[in-house]
Amino acid sequence: MQINLLDRVRLGIAVFAAKTITATIRTFKLGAASVLPGTIGKRLHPQILAMLSQQIKYGVIIVAGTNGKTTTSLLLRDILEKDGWKVVHNEAGANLVNGLITTLLEKTSLTGKLKADYGILEVDENVIPLVIPQLKPKYVIALNLFRDQLDRYGEVDTITYRWGKAIAELDCDTILVTNGDDPALAHLGQQLAKGDKPKQVKYFGLSEPELYLDEIPHAVDSIYCPSCGTALEYKGVYLSHQGDFDCPKCDFTKSKLSIDSREWPQVLIGVYNKYNTLAAVTTMESIGISKPVILNAISNFQAAFGRSEEIFYNGKKVRILLTKNPASMNETIRAVSQVNKAGGSSVSLMILNDRTPDGTDVSWIWDVDTEKFVNAGGTIVVSGDRVYDMALRLEYSKTNPDIGCDIIVKEDLKDAIDTALALTAIDEILHVIPTYSAMLDVREILTGKKIL
Amino acid sequence: MTLELKIGWLYPTLMSTYGDRGNVIAIQQRAQWRGINVEVIPFDVNSHPDSIHQIDVMAGGGAQDRQQEIVMRDLAGAKAEAIKAKLDAGAPGVFTCGSPQLLGRFYEPGLGERIEGMGIIDLESKHPGIDVPRCTGNVVFEITAKRLAAELTELLGGKKPIIVGFENHGGRTYLGPNAEALGTVIKGFGNNATDGTEGAFYRNAIATYSHGPLIPKNPFIADWMIETALRDKYQTEIKLAPLDDSLADRARAAMLKRLDVN
Repeated sequence: MQINLLDRVRLGIAVFAAKTITATIRTFKLGAASVLPGTIGKRLHPQILAMLSQQIKYGVIIVAGTNGKTTTSLLLRDILEKDGWKVVHNEAGANLVNGLITTLLEKTSLTGKLKADYGILEVDENVIPLVIPQLKPKYVIALNLFRDQLDRYGEVDTITYRWGKAIAELDCDTILVTNGDDPALAHLGQQLAKGDKPKQVKYFGLSEPELYLDEIPHAVDSIYCPSCGTALEYKGVYLSHQGDFDCPKCDFTKSKLSIDSREWPQVLIGVYNKYNTLAAVTTMESIGISKPVILNAISNFQAAFGRSEEIFYNGKKVRILLTKNPASMNETIRAVSQVNKAGGSSVSLMILNDRTPDGTDVSWIWDVDTEKFVNAGGTIVVSGDRVYDMALRLEYSKTNPDIGCDIIVKEDLKDAIDTALALTAIDEILHVIPTYSAMLDVREILTGKKIL
Repeated sequence: MTLELKIGWLYPTLMSTYGDRGNVIAIQQRAQWRGINVEVIPFDVNSHPDSIHQIDVMAGGGAQDRQQEIVMRDLAGAKAEAIKAKLDAGAPGVFTCGSPQLLGRFYEPGLGERIEGMGIIDLESKHPGIDVPRCTGNVVFEITAKRLAAELTELLGGKKPIIVGFENHGGRTYLGPNAEALGTVIKGFGNNATDGTEGAFYRNAIATYSHGPLIPKNPFIADWMIETALRDKYQTEIKLAPLDDSLADRARAAMLKRLDVN
């Protein structure tokens, strides 16, 4: 991108000011400085996001979706770095406009020059339409869309529509990597592949019917045809509303997947991480990274904080599985139940908070199929700001009188962790299932330090 | 004799946005824990209007706009008449979140055309515009609808029926002269954030913006619904055995303390 002299000077001033802020915040240990420098930079140069991102040599990869952004971004970064590329990445998860600017500023010199081969930016679903025209991404990865924090956001339908509109208007050769098992996102791909400025579209998804769920979970959002509104017919469901679908009325159906899921191992545990892996692999193969490099990154993958992250504490293994909404809690429960069934664990700790990053409305726990978890037995320790709401949900989940599940309520988080660990056998792993702010609190107790 | 209770669940896949099925789960479990046989019957697009007559209690939740439209199209005519007849006959019902708007005369959304309601309760709802903040947060109100308040107070052994829940609505509801408010707001916004009323009570139907969901933390509502329905069905006095509600009590106490309500 050509930048004229005046812009270069203004950009320089903006970068200088923002970097001074970062240095000040860090020197005086006022915080992690992951957002404020971006705010200042944007004040001084409104086009700063465009001017910085367009200096990235091979362009920006946007990672979008309700769940899995952080894990997928981290895997993309690992693969690219293993292949020798220089990557800029918002690893702290600051995924609103000012957080994105701050990330790019970190890698920018005082003269406003940013040297990177690829930018990997996870972006909040509501901010996507705003930043796409500025970032002009090379790739947009659409992971999934689930019901999430309705107190903060609108509805799933409107989000897909706004994404489609923003991508359709791009002039450049953007490639969409979308979830072919998700009706709304598959439809998005099919729409973008035609029209005035057709885009290249790649579909990832599963081809493993043995992973079909017994039934469609209660908390599903889009089981209606995005084209004609008729209820879709499913041969099987892999996760929430993602599966092998077909519209009985119009010609809407699945697109051919660009990848065979059987050919690839996955990172971490759970079907949801299979999807995250496949999204990353599809993108990397499209860029032209070789299979051995990708496989190497997958097998050496270290979880992002709180996302299936494993920590040793007092001689026992703890796995933290962040949950944010019904879809992620359903899938987390499924993954943990599998470990329980195999004898690898028997105790879980569930922590429900209702602070702003968690969503202040906790009613979504009633959309989770916790019956499956409770009726599998074992011990569940409960804690958090809304400990009694969570405990109540679990008590009402006891629908099988033949199976006992111990539900232990501990208001104090440290007490809850100690209790759960004491009940965990030495050769078992303790699964911690927290909401976002609870995840940060748990990590602080287990590692002895704050990260954000 | 084993008692039987049939719960009619309105449009379970279309209208269940904010954990509203928690109300159905709670009614079902609390009846089963008392040895009552329970059947949950969906009343939806595939149901015949007459199937409403086998139902003893009714539950309905909230929907996203597109889903609400499908529901309204399906309800128009015979199904709306069937629901009205059932409620007029005194069937207990709990309608939360967007459901009260459906029972009223009409709802004017922030964008788009006015949606006609079933006209069962004399109330109307309007969205003041998408730029006006939603009414979102924890809510506490006292049930003041006369007959219901008296029956619940008796069921609670003399204690006032206080509801603890969560509300999240863009629309504002205004009661007409022929509607009775369900309760009076203690903390939160209520029907319209101005007149202090919350919800509406019609025959034995409870309409409220409070989800959370409503019943698990306010279990006396379920017990009242079950007793009322079975009394009518079996024409005999039904008294449910008490349950251990200590978790609900502590959940309520924690929220009342946080909101500084005594």
